[in-house]
Amino acid sequence: MLLFRSEAHVTSWLAGREPGTTISITKLAELAQAWWADRLPPHWRPHTRDQNQAILEELGLTGPFWRLG
Amino acid sequence: MEPADVELRNTTYRRFVELGRAPSAPEIAAAMGIAVEDVRAGWRRLHDGHALVLDGDGNIRMAAPFSAIPTAFKVEAAGRSWYANCAWDAFGIGAALQVDSSFDTECPDCATPIRIAVRDGRPDDDTPVFHVLLPAARWWSDIGFT
Repeated sequence: MLLFRSEAHVTSWLAGREPGTTISITKLAELAQAWWADRLPPHWRPHTRDQNQAILEELGLTGPFWRLG
Repeated sequence: MEPADVELRNTTYRRFVELGRAPSAPEIAAAMGIAVEDVRAGWRRLHDGHALVLDGDGNIRMAAPFSAIPTAFKVEAAGRSWYANCAWDAFGIGAALQVDSSFDTECPDCATPIRIAVRDGRPDDDTPVFHVLLPAARWWSDIGFT
């Protein structure tokens, strides 16, 4: 889960290996807000798998790659 | 998850934030007034439940988004600094603390430094991209690699 200067740098770094998925840094920031914003309050409860899947889907991160185990 | 384990988890996270590093089992035992063995047993249950990650010695390795060891993602927020486990977590520390933040990393391809400031949840530079190598179903099969 790394940050690259551009998609061209991802391609160069992969050097022919099977790629995963690339998203924009702005989408990543939205994902982090949705995923982590409730982790420190005293009333914290663990996210269920379905809650986490819903976060991904609400951000358009759908399809087999984003299907949680 | 049992209420006692939630309290242990929350105390562990709170001390991680306060200390700027992972707390030790004796530190948490002292903070909660319980035995070190009970902390370690509780941490193991939380590890098994993916609420935190222990290293091979039973110490905190990750309390995501915080990392107990130095990584390529150093985050500054609220006048302190922590390491994040990955780019996702680098944004996650500011999100969890609900404050503006910044982090430093470098492009894995060319080693060019990348510094991102996050204001109101948004990065100040929208040119970098985030690559996820493993599909979501495999993230926990090797969380350290993920």
